Amino acid sequence: MRYRKVVVLGFDGLDPGLAETLMAGGELPNLARLREDGGYSRLATTLPAQTPVAWSTFAVGANPGVHGIFDFLSRDPATYLPQVGLYRHEQKSRFLPPRAVNLRGGTPVWERLSKAGVSSTILRHPCTYPPAPFKGRLLAGVGVPDLRGGFGSSAFFTTEPGLRAGEGERVVVVELDAEGRATTHLLGPGLPQGDDLRSSLELEVDPGGQSVIISCPDGGFSHPVRVGEWTPWVHVRFKHGLLQSVRGLVRFFLGGTDPLQLFASPVQFDPQVPLFPISHPWDYGAELERVLGPFATLGMAEEHNGVTNGRIDEGAFLAQCFDIMHERLAMMRLELGRMERGLFYCLFDTPDRIQHIFWRFREPDHPAHRGEPLPQEWTRVIEDYYRLCDEVVGEALEYVDDATLLMVASDHGFASFRREVHLNAWLLENGYLSLRYGVEPGEGAGDLLREVDWGRTRAYALGLAGVYLNLRGREAEGVVPVEAAGSLRAEIAERLGGMEDPLRGKAAVRYALPREKAYSGARLDDAPDILLAYAPGYRTSSAAAMGGVGAGVFSDNLRRWSGDHIVDPSAVPGILFMNAPFLGDQARLLDLAPTILDALGVPGDGALEGGSLLP
Amino acid sequence: MRILVVGLDCAAPELLLGEELPNLRRLMAAGVYGSLESVVPPITVPAWMCMATSQDPGSLGVYGFRNRVDHSYLRMETADSRWFRAPTIWDQIAMEGGRSILVGVPPSYPPRRMNGLRVGCFLTPDPATHVFTHPPELGERIRALVGSYPVDVKHFRTEDKHRLHREILEMTRIHFEVVGHLLATEPWDFFHFVEIGLDRIHHGFWKHHDTRHRHHDPGNPFREVIRDYYRLLDHEIGVLLEALDERTLVLVVSDHGARALDGGFCINEWLMEEGFLVLRSRPRDVTSFDKLDVDWSRTRAWSSGGYYARVFLNVRGREPDGAVAREDYEAVREDLVARLEATVDDRGRLLGTRAFRPEAIYARVEGIAPDLIVHFGELAWRAIGGVGYGRIHVQENDTGPDDCNHAQLGAFVLAGPGVPEGGELGGARLLDVAPTLLGAAGYDVPASMQGTNLLPGVSLGPGLELPPGTTLRPPPPPPDSDHLVRERLKGLGYLG
Repeated sequence: MRYRKVVVLGFDGLDPGLAETLMAGGELPNLARLREDGGYSRLATTLPAQTPVAWSTFAVGANPGVHGIFDFLSRDPATYLPQVGLYRHEQKSRFLPPRAVNLRGGTPVWERLSKAGVSSTILRHPCTYPPAPFKGRLLAGVGVPDLRGGFGSSAFFTTEPGLRAGEGERVVVVELDAEGRATTHLLGPGLPQGDDLRSSLELEVDPGGQSVIISCPDGGFSHPVRVGEWTPWVHVRFKHGLLQSVRGLVRFFLGGTDPLQLFASPVQFDPQVPLFPISHPWDYGAELERVLGPFATLGMAEEHNGVTNGRIDEGAFLAQCFDIMHERLAMMRLELGRMERGLFYCLFDTPDRIQHIFWRFREPDHPAHRGEPLPQEWTRVIEDYYRLCDEVVGEALEYVDDATLLMVASDHGFASFRREVHLNAWLLENGYLSLRYGVEPGEGAGDLLREVDWGRTRAYALGLAGVYLNLRGREAEGVVPVEAAGSLRAEIAERLGGMEDPLRGKAAVRYALPREKAYSGARLDDAPDILLAYAPGYRTSSAAAMGGVGAGVFSDNLRRWSGDHIVDPSAVPGILFMNAPFLGDQARLLDLAPTILDALGVPGDGALEGGSLLP
Repeated sequence: MRILVVGLDCAAPELLLGEELPNLRRLMAAGVYGSLESVVPPITVPAWMCMATSQDPGSLGVYGFRNRVDHSYLRMETADSRWFRAPTIWDQIAMEGGRSILVGVPPSYPPRRMNGLRVGCFLTPDPATHVFTHPPELGERIRALVGSYPVDVKHFRTEDKHRLHREILEMTRIHFEVVGHLLATEPWDFFHFVEIGLDRIHHGFWKHHDTRHRHHDPGNPFREVIRDYYRLLDHEIGVLLEALDERTLVLVVSDHGARALDGGFCINEWLMEEGFLVLRSRPRDVTSFDKLDVDWSRTRAWSSGGYYARVFLNVRGREPDGAVAREDYEAVREDLVARLEATVDDRGRLLGTRAFRPEAIYARVEGIAPDLIVHFGELAWRAIGGVGYGRIHVQENDTGPDDCNHAQLGAFVLAGPGVPEGGELGGARLLDVAPTLLGAAGYDVPASMQGTNLLPGVSLGPGLELPPGTTLRPPPPPPDSDHLVRERLKGLGYLG
């Protein structure tokens, strides 16, 4: 055994270009010292360069064809509907418990260590929901749903009539009575019969309009919140019949009282009594809550929807992001403080969310400004976050001794997101996809591929990663014969590669690959048929990802979600710092599981595709 | 159809059915549940066997852990598995060709042969040195799986609460691991598991949990230990349920409940005071009954202690040195009943003691029964057999610290294919369990069983014929509507 402990700090989306620039300017002292005393490399990521895909490759030490996570989204070939690609919920019969199933395959490094008798503490690693047993503790990360069973749906309570719901939210128009009171509700889990569990909310606006008292009779709380402030986490309860109830955690933000603007976060699993297990051992989450207080459990808990929908402003978003950073930091301190040997991993997700939202402030000509001048207020937020991450590293260093290998890693870098590519529109224009007679692309084609004429469609796009064939025997109304699939994949990939944005006269897609050239492994059949590597600045459009068929192939990205990384992986590598010198400057996420095993003296095997970076 | 019985020794209805335990609640919503009236006395041995045979303690001739084996004064023996010969659920299932697995069903030492597997209960002397399974080699498999197998925790009446808590949790984890393993890897038609950890945690921590307990300290660090343990059981039960198919009848059940113990009633001191028991010399210190110098020729009654009292009359011609004439037996017993039922607590309040005559409460009286079985204050007080306290009411216990007694009502939850969503079922008795399970699963009910089938309309049979109007599998949920698909996915910022 070369080390007693391995400490891995993950900073989601920390970009090497930005980090290197800051270090060149004398900043990020802790990371700079690591680079000096140990080593630094850009870290090759996965295709697609996406959090669940990349961290799964980190954990399993193999390409996505082995672990089976190809995208946040997958699709059900029986219905052509998009679905969450990370987990599934199922129930065998009404009296047997419903259960969550993790869709990630392969053996993560902490399970390999466990078999060798080495314990691990894993905080918020993506695609660990629901946790599988092993020797150690784990709190699941990206992939933990909200109580509605999805990536997170928020609610917005307002007195403004006619407000349209944005993405992933429910807008509830309430009417205040003469005393400034209104009764409404939060939505909890949906039942198989189609009903939703509800938890009633009573709102009372104070006569001065400075605050609202939010009461939840079923949750037993009553909480005042002032304009411009968040509530702490509050417990809500959704009663189900006489016997059952589901508990959750929610935070509210009050934007104003006239009109009322009350934002409610997605209702999250209560770590004391989660709807499905989110930790291992099963009560580890409860232990953390007892020691540290309630914390966000949702996979992607930062309120980016609130800010993209304009329900909360950047300041409120930033405040909530800091809270999440501090919740995570408290967990890190607790566990580093009591850990004696083995592997520790903690992911700080927030840098990724911050960059998605604040990227536009780095670019005066970003389309999201819609021609307005660049506001001065938020231009340094991303750099400040890098400084904060560096401070986190500094704190972790206090727990690092000679017998500890420290790795600081990110799963991918970052790029601008200026132009959206409507992949289904391209498939339509190139004769691979057809709409029903009389349906025009654009708004009229709706979403979820509802207007696609499947009998005349050979390929369709869903999700963020690529294109699927309408394969006979696999898709419900498949038309492409299995023997023609290989050549069709190659043909579409060939034509997508180098696809040009007429506005800019440059390639929007650097290359595309038929899946057998991108991956290998037992789960290859679950992959999209064709994978795309976009040029930085481009990405599959949100509409196409949800099965929309756009009126044209390109459009400007006008949203506050203005930075992204689902582009050619070579353009968005992650970072790797270690406190010991390591081999070469070509490190890959694939190499980290073998490195961890090597450091702790546990032999690997042929399933690991990378190699140890330790000299 | 298969039957899984998860036995939780001492599970109290107010906790098992009243706390928010998600897996239990799901079973409750899918089936029937309620409190379950235990036998007299509500004690682990013989209660689990009463459940399995649907016969009362008198019919089984077992009146508690320790029983008289002849009419001498002091000879009592602990009932083990060989004491029970009445047909059980698993005997009936074996007769119809079915295989059973029993884990920790008391008493199961020495392990008896059966069609299936058996793992010993807490009465096993030491699993490291004694054969504790049938067949014996199953013990090796269990050791290979979990290391040493604890049948019980050591000395649960202890002041070392941290040690006790740790050991109970570890034992429970191992039990469920073994049960989960057997459940998944062995063929079975009937699987009955009893977890003793709940009884131990009740006895060890009740005063810390129960705010109405005389010695409750609101600031104590063990307040949540019992509730947390129920949550642990619920979680473990959820894990077991996940491994089942939909053709399994599931019963979660306890043999008796739990309640706060107010103190000890020194029954032999009291019998002395009332003139029924005469000693040649009074001990200077607290002395157990078998060490006392009893003047048997002048003693009309004595008692053995425990959670309840077993009072014996010293009958001429029956006991060696009998002092009660046969013709006076009923009058003396009558007098004793009246006096016992008039006993008061340490504050002078009527205890509400019940003294039961065996022939009045049992269908048959086999073996050597106590002449009276006494519950003090609905078991708020336990019976102290020792003498030398100098008073009737004591707060200390002669067998070590214990702040819980058993309660007459246990609890049950029954769900499975064909079981209606019936809500709470009143009036269920422990003796009804076996006929209900056998009936619902389509087996014959032996004539020796004394209980009644709680669900007479439900019978799926081993061949799985469905009663009209029921379906084995619920209809598939409606396909997710488009708005649900959008709602679930669009929270992903990438799609916003």
